[in-house]
Parts: sequence; structure tokens; C-alpha cells
Amino acid sequence: MKLISLRSARIAVYLVSLFLVGCSVSGESKYFGSSKPHGDNVLRYISGSEPATLDPHVSGGQPEARIYASLYEGLVEVHPKTLQPIPALAKSWEVSPKVDEFIFHLRNNGKFSDGTPITARDFEYSFRRAFDPELTSQTVQLGYFVKYAEAYNGNQLFVERDGKFVTENDVADEAVPAETRPPFGPETEFHKYIQSPTRLTLPEAPLKRAQAIEGNPKLKAIFAVRPSDLKDALSFIRKIRTATDPLSKNLAATIPPDALSCLENCSDAAKQSLAEALNKALDSGSFFAQDWFASLSLPKDAKALGDAIVAENKKRADANNAIDLEIAKLSDPAKIAEQEKSKKKPLGKFFYANRFLLEQMFPDELSPVSLVPIEPKDLGVEAIDDNTFRITLRQSAPFFLGLLTHQLFRVVPQQAIEKYGKHWTRPENIVTSGPFKLKEYHPYDRLVVERDPNYWDAANVHLDGIAFFAVEEQATTLNLYKSGAVDAIQNHAVPAPWIEKIAAYNDEYLNFPESATAYYSFNVRKPPFDNPKLRRAFSLGIDRVALAKFRKITKPLYSITPSGIFPEYDKAMAKVGEEIRKERGIPTEDWDKYRRQFDPAAARKILGELGFPVQENGGNFECPSFPTDRIALTFNTTESNRQIAEFIQAQWRQNLGITVPLKNQEFKTFLADRNAMRYDGLAQSLWSGDYMDPYTFLSLQYGEVNDGGAGFHDPRFDKMLDDANYELDPQKRFEMMARAEYYLLEQLPSIPLTINATNWLKKPWIKGFYPNPGTLFPWKFVYIERDPAKWDTDVEGIMDRDDPQVVEQLKQLESTVGGQ
Amino acid sequence: MLSFIIRRLLLIVPMALIVITLTWGLIRIAPGNFYSAEKRLPAAVEENIRKKYGLDKPWYQQYGMMMWNIVRLDFGDSLKYEGQSVNEILRRHFPYSATIGLLAYGLALIVGLSAGIIASLKQNSIFDYASMSFAMLGLSVPSFVLGPILAMIFSLWLFWLPPARWSLTGLVLPVITLAALYAAYIARLTRAGMLEVMRSDYIRTARAKGLDEKTVLLRHAIRGGLIPVVSFTGPALAALLAGTIVVEKIFAIPGLGNIFIQSVFNRDEPLTLGIVAFLSIMIMLFNLVVDISYGFLDPRIRYE
Repeated sequence: MKLISLRSARIAVYLVSLFLVGCSVSGESKYFGSSKPHGDNVLRYISGSEPATLDPHVSGGQPEARIYASLYEGLVEVHPKTLQPIPALAKSWEVSPKVDEFIFHLRNNGKFSDGTPITARDFEYSFRRAFDPELTSQTVQLGYFVKYAEAYNGNQLFVERDGKFVTENDVADEAVPAETRPPFGPETEFHKYIQSPTRLTLPEAPLKRAQAIEGNPKLKAIFAVRPSDLKDALSFIRKIRTATDPLSKNLAATIPPDALSCLENCSDAAKQSLAEALNKALDSGSFFAQDWFASLSLPKDAKALGDAIVAENKKRADANNAIDLEIAKLSDPAKIAEQEKSKKKPLGKFFYANRFLLEQMFPDELSPVSLVPIEPKDLGVEAIDDNTFRITLRQSAPFFLGLLTHQLFRVVPQQAIEKYGKHWTRPENIVTSGPFKLKEYHPYDRLVVERDPNYWDAANVHLDGIAFFAVEEQATTLNLYKSGAVDAIQNHAVPAPWIEKIAAYNDEYLNFPESATAYYSFNVRKPPFDNPKLRRAFSLGIDRVALAKFRKITKPLYSITPSGIFPEYDKAMAKVGEEIRKERGIPTEDWDKYRRQFDPAAARKILGELGFPVQENGGNFECPSFPTDRIALTFNTTESNRQIAEFIQAQWRQNLGITVPLKNQEFKTFLADRNAMRYDGLAQSLWSGDYMDPYTFLSLQYGEVNDGGAGFHDPRFDKMLDDANYELDPQKRFEMMARAEYYLLEQLPSIPLTINATNWLKKPWIKGFYPNPGTLFPWKFVYIERDPAKWDTDVEGIMDRDDPQVVEQLKQLESTVGGQ
Repeated sequence: MLSFIIRRLLLIVPMALIVITLTWGLIRIAPGNFYSAEKRLPAAVEENIRKKYGLDKPWYQQYGMMMWNIVRLDFGDSLKYEGQSVNEILRRHFPYSATIGLLAYGLALIVGLSAGIIASLKQNSIFDYASMSFAMLGLSVPSFVLGPILAMIFSLWLFWLPPARWSLTGLVLPVITLAALYAAYIARLTRAGMLEVMRSDYIRTARAKGLDEKTVLLRHAIRGGLIPVVSFTGPALAALLAGTIVVEKIFAIPGLGNIFIQSVFNRDEPLTLGIVAFLSIMIMLFNLVVDISYGFLDPRIRYE
């Protein structure tokens, strides 16, 4: 009956909304719609999509984060303007000299909404719970800096040999010399353990464990059969001599007879020679690959490992076949060699897999190497006493304190979670720790919180409550705002066609840079964009200033880290940039051009050098030799993404003479393809910072598997970042990171495009509510001003103006932090 | 008659299972997962999630488990909304859609039937032209245009009604928006059906027997004239009760239609399947009711 295409529907909605704006802005009012505050002391806020859950440890979403900030509190909270950590349930803290340990001094009047006191043990419980593999938190990787958190969350195992835990040093190529650490806080049993050399952890899945062991000779030696592993050598010898199964027969045939000679009371020497012979047999080939393997009757775990090996080998063979097909199409020997290199060998010799099989087949004779599951108590968190909490990290992480404001680290009630299980967040069961507590919850409509009298700082919570409305439609959101039904709306809520009109309401419209960037990542693993020079040419072909103007609310982005978000880092970037300019003797003018990344003439020159000459033809450029059929610009389907893609497509056509095909995909389909590097050419990406440190952007291209979407991995860049993170002087660290960023800009795995804008509205009587770069709000600073003379005006300057009430409140809070 | 109903009821079971199986297959073909997001999860976390929700099992086992759940009418827990069961989501949100749907249905019937009957009785009068022009407008203005226009006039200019969200006064605009299309359709169907019946032989016979015009109209003409309307309004009621995505979005109504669409985007398999099963069974039942009602309206129809 109704078969109207989505596209025409969208156009119609735009036309209607334009019409609405056209009609409605004609009035004389200074304000956008209603200018009457509600009578009650409740903030009405449109928070966006329906929260996935009220459990702060599970969901990582931003709409959720804003609700969690009202319901839960952590050790620290964000500063309303800068997002830097300010005291919350911790009144002060100490940082170890290496910035890998933190001691928090908790308030003694912190309470949950049910009146139970909040102590360091609650934090210990909360941290351990967040990493519980069964909780399947979708934001847990943010906390992997906590010692053993990643291993615990990934079900990994410690290795115990001869009563001692194997350490990473034991199997490292080069052992790191033990260091003497200055004491940091009280020395407890736990602290001695957590500060002892880092233990080795291995994957739980036997196949992955076998692969890890096979790749490291020192580790393999640890897993070699030792005489002490032979619980009952005699029985073992008897069994393989008499049993008729092919494994025993095979062993009997491969092990030299003298190693099997002991017939009663085996001596240590006999055990020794049997162990040696067994090790040789285990290392001689894969039992799993033998013809007779299928005829064995196996215990469950060994069978699972066998199946996993077969499946992995089949996967590799299929991949290799696909490469062969690809090679058949090629003629260039260099490219063939490159493809050959990407082939994977089948899993061959498998010492540990063989040993695992024997352990399973002879459980009474051969004892396994003791693998100890990591338990919650092994994590690097410790309640020293009721008011002192210590966190130990696996590495220096100067940004970790800022990370602790995240919902993953907010305190949750053990008493309610253990009583109600997964239903603890239901309105009738929920217990919270923040300035507000849940009053009513109607999913997909509203969630209302009210001030919690049990909150330690309840006297300084100004609002009686907050109503969060789950509305996503932009037009509906603005209608509700205009009618006065809500006081403020979520970020990115003003649709592009409305912006120009709405920006005129300069007491209400908030347009500030966000800690989020839009960029196009290259598939650097596939030609033609495996060449950094070509990547640079494409980047030089985009006029970002024009793009930002076209998008109306965004600012151009020239680097990986958005400028204007981390002021100290911006200074470091400028300083290091100047150093690099001098080192290379580049004139200032050229350097500016280089940094602004827009130089069509240079781009065309590079294309020419790479064998894709650009011809000028009556003012138009053409580049017929460029293989546009091998690339595309992929984005996920939204109107704004399409507009950006079309704009950039036009830029390249105009400046480089290259028309890049566009390809749009549904969001989850797009993500699946991009993450698996199943795209040709370029893919759109958006990244919002997780914490207030440039590392949250630079780490996008860090490590073998990363979120950059480009398939980029450069050990040199990784090392530069690692070195920077070990640097303890913050200024120096930023400079080292800036160097890494300039290096990355040369490699250019992605084209920076724009910096996101906050793009939201608030009524002028809502105060203490700031458009900070994360759109995250410490709600206890927000208040409603009844006197119109004191309402916010000209909000463009809101971040530079001080609100005496907020300043006083901050001063009071921060007074407990000594000498930081 | 009874055997007809039993046969049709029995048929609903295999039909529903086919619908569910197809939906399940489609969800499985779609790339991405309920946990896929811009920020990728570490492999270990993904593994934990797959284990927790049984996604690591072979597909036939997953299918079997899903079917077993559905046969027991327990659709399991939503994947996106931690700790909420699909059954409770259906129970919680269906009433919103049903309220708006029923009100819109009632409004559409009242307006549509009366406009259609009067128009047919006063064919080619001013009223006929006026009501049919309005009906044409109702048919051609889609709800995503009508909704915002109504909101603009009544909420942002006149401040009479809230522009969105669930409340007593908030119901007015979405109900009108939703009813407009159906009222227009019903009015046109009624008019056409009535015009045809009024010219038929049995009406002429009735008039010839000297029955007064009121009896002719109410006892004889309406029953025959409404058959096309009934065959339209049956499925229409099902569609209205199921929740309409556009109107629910525009007016921020927490109904089932909105949640259904979100569940597909979220790849929330149990929720999508639960809603599909619920809606498909409801639609099949309504069609059955429509088929039965033909017999009462038109004595010529027999069930064999």
C-alpha cells in the first residue's frame, strides 16, 4: 500500500522541516520557542537512544554514560568544563613515581542509595566485577591497563612449574633486570605479590596455547616433560607396551627400547631417559596429523583440540587456495612473490598439542603442567583498609586517572547484585551510588531520577531531579525543545538544514569542538593505497576548509588528534612541528601548506610521479590511467555521510581528475566489512575519544589489531608511543607523542577530515551545564536560574566565563586534594 | 463453519513457523552482530559473549533452541537490553501501539463510514465532492508529512497540544495522523460499495416491495455495501495495532513498531523474532475473523 522509497521520504522530511523553520523563525522572540521555565526544580533532558541497561559496567554507549553519571559515582568525576578528573568518592590520591600505581583516600561518608556505606571494599568488588568474563562488558578493554585485568577477562591461565609461577621474564628473549622500587603505600602481602615480576599468562583454549608455546623456545622448554611429571612411569611403560591403540603402538615404536626398559621400581635415571625420549617423540611431528589419529577414542578435551586443529588447517588451506587463484590472475613476479608470502603454512609440529594429547590419554601416568586460572583476587586492585584503595597497573599510564571517570570504574552495590543477579537494575531492586537515584523508568519514553538524600554531597546537588527522555528523531527533539517540554537536548541533535536558522539563537545554541574526529581510512593492505605517497596525494586533494563550511558545524582537521581539545598537547604539536621544520629546512610558508594538507598542484605532481599522469583539458583535470575500478569510498548510510562523501568525491574529481565510486552500506554490515578489511580503497570512520588524553586518538593506529580501520601496523610508530608513555614528565611525553603523530601523518593511514561539533541547545535558565568536548555532565553542578537577569546570554563565550556558583563548588571539592 | 475455523486455526501453526524460520534465516544472513560497534571488542570479549549467548554452537542447534523456545511461547532475553525478556517487552509496549491503533481505527471507521455513506446517498452533491476531495488528500499526504504539519500547527503555533511523547493530550495528534489515511480509504470504499449495491436488483426488489428508504438502507444495502470495507479493515486493524513506525517515531511513542525497527538495526535476534511471531499470528487471526464476518454480511458466501 505504501511503497515510498526511503530516499524520497527523507527528502520530504527535509522539505517539511525547512518549511517549519521558515515559518517559525519569523517571530521576533529572542528565544527559540518557549521561554518559560517549568515550575519544579527538575531538568528535562533529551538523552537520545534508549539505554541498553542501567548497569554501568556493561554498556559503553554515550547516552548511557550521561544517565550513569547521575546514578553512579566513581573515585573521580569529570570537571564540568575541562573533563579533567576532580574528586568524587575519593577525596584525594597519590600517584607512584612511575605512574603505574595509584592510592585513593576515600571519603568516610560515602553511601549507596540504600544507606549502606561505600568503602574501599566496594571499589575492590566493583573493579573485579567489571572484568568478570561472564559479565561480558562491552567497554572492558578500557580497563586493561590494570594488572592482570586483560588476562582475567580473557580467561587466561598462569603457569606453575615446580611450585613457582612462571614469569614473563623467564620466557623473554632478554630478561628485564629486576628493579628496586621505592615503597608506595603500606607494604601488604598482596602488594608484594602484585609487585613481583609479572607472571606469564597463556590462553585457555588449548590450540591457542599450543600456538603460543610453539612460537617461543624458552616457553617450550618449560612445557617439556620432566621426570617429576611422570607420576607412574612403570604403568606408562606397561601401557604403551601392551595397549593396542595406534597411539601407544606408535609411541612404543618411536621411543628407543632402552628408555622403556625399566620393568619395576624405575630409578630416577630411567625416568630421566624416558622423559628425554618422550620429549623427542613429542617434538617429532604432530600426532593429530597422523592417519591413525581418527581411529583413537579420545577424551573430550583432546577431541576438541583435534577438531580445532583440523578446522584451522582447513581454513588455512582454503585461504591459500584463494591466494593461488589470485596469483593465477597476476603476471608481475614481484606481486606474485608478495602474494606467496601471505600464504600460511599448515599447523605442523606441535609439541604442546602432542603433550596435551598424552596428558589426556594417560591421566594417571603423566601429570599436566599446572595451569592456574586467574581469579578476581589476582587483579591489581586492593582495599588496603576501609578508606584506602590501591590500583596497580601493568605499565605506566599517565592518562589512567582521567580514564577512571568512565562508567566502567563507577562503584556498584555488591549487596543488590548478589541478591538479584541480572535483575538488580530493575526499578524495584536497583541500588545506586551517585547524586541521584532512580525514581521511575518507562523504557523508550522516560527515565526519571531524583536527588538521593543518602549521597555524601547531597547538600550541593542543586536539582531535585532529572527526566531523561529517550527520543532519537531530530525533528521531534527540536519540536519538544521549542514547545518548552524539554530544557536541553543531546549533542548532534540539530539537523543540518536547520543549523543556520538555529545558530542565530545565540543564547541557546552550543557549537563547540568535540573530542571526536571524522576521517577516511585507507585500506593500506591492498594496492593502490599500500603506497603512502598516493595516500598523501589523495589527502592533498581535499579542501578541508570548504568541507567544514559546507558542513556548517564542523572544524577542519589536519592531524590525527583534534586540535582545541587538549591545549597542552596543541602547544607540543606546534613546538615539535617547528623543530621538524627547522631540521628539514622547510620554509615556513611551505610548512604551513604541508600542515594544512591542501595542495592540488602537489597532489597532481605526486600522481604523475607514481605513473598516473593528470592532464589538463580546458580547465578540467583528467587522470585516465588511475584504476578507479579498483577503489571505492565506502560509508554507512546516513544523509550526512552521503553529503560528505559526495562533496569529497567532487573535490577529487575537480582537483585530481579522479572520480572515486561511492558505496553505501547499512551500519552493521559496514562495520563487519571494514573491521575485516573487506573494502577497496577508502572507508569512512568516526572516532570519539574515550578519555581526555591524545593517546585515545593516537592508539587508533597502535598495535597489530587496532580500531583505525586501515589495517595499518608500524612497529616504529608503536615504539614511539610506548616510549612516550614511559616518559613521566607530562610536557616531554606530549612532545614525544607529537613526534609520533608527525611520523604517522607521513605514513597517513587515514585522511583527517573534520572535528565534530557539539551541536546542541539548552534553555538559558539551565546553568552550570557546559558544552564540554565529551558531552558528559557531572550533574550536581547543574542548576535552574529563576531570575531572567542571570540567565546565560551569548553562549559562544560560555566556556571562558566563570559561574561563581560552579567555581565555588569546584573549589570546595578540590580543597581536599593536597599538593596535586 | 466450525470445521472451517479449525482448519484455518491449524494452518496458522505451520504458517507462523515458516515466517519465523525465514526471519531467523534473514537475520543470520545479515552481517554484523548485536555487539558490533564503531569500537571493536577484543577477541576474548567477543568469545565470552558468543559463549554466553550460545552463538558458538552449530547453527542447527541454535535453530533448534530458538524453535523450542518459541513453541513454549518463551522468546528468551533481549540481547541488547540486558536482563529484559522479550515477553515482558512485548507486554509492556504492545498496549501503547494498541491504544493508538484502536483509537485511530475507531476514528477512521466513524469518519470514513459516515462520509462514504452520505456521499453515496447524495451522489454528485457538494458534500460528495468535498468529502471525496478530502479523502484524496488523506490518501496522498503520507503520515511523515501530515504528522509534522499537525505538530507545527497545534503544538508550536497554537500551543494546544504537546508536540510528542505519550500523554492523554499527546494522543490526539498521532491518532489523527494515523487515522487520516485509513479514514480516506474507508470513505472511498464505502462510497463505491454503496453505490454499487444501491443499483443492484435486490435493492430494487426491496424498494418495489414498498419498504421505506431507512429499512432498505440499514437492513439491506449496508450489509452488502460494506463487504469491500470489511476486507480492507480487517488487515488494517492488524496493521494499526502492530504499531506504525513512522507515527511512533515522529511522536516519540514507545510502541512496538518503533522497537521492532530498532531491534533489526540492533541485530537483537530474540526481540525481532518475538515481535515477528507475535505480529504474524495476530495478523493471521484477524484475517480469519474477517473471513468469518463475510458470512454474516453476505448470505451468498458459504464456508466449505
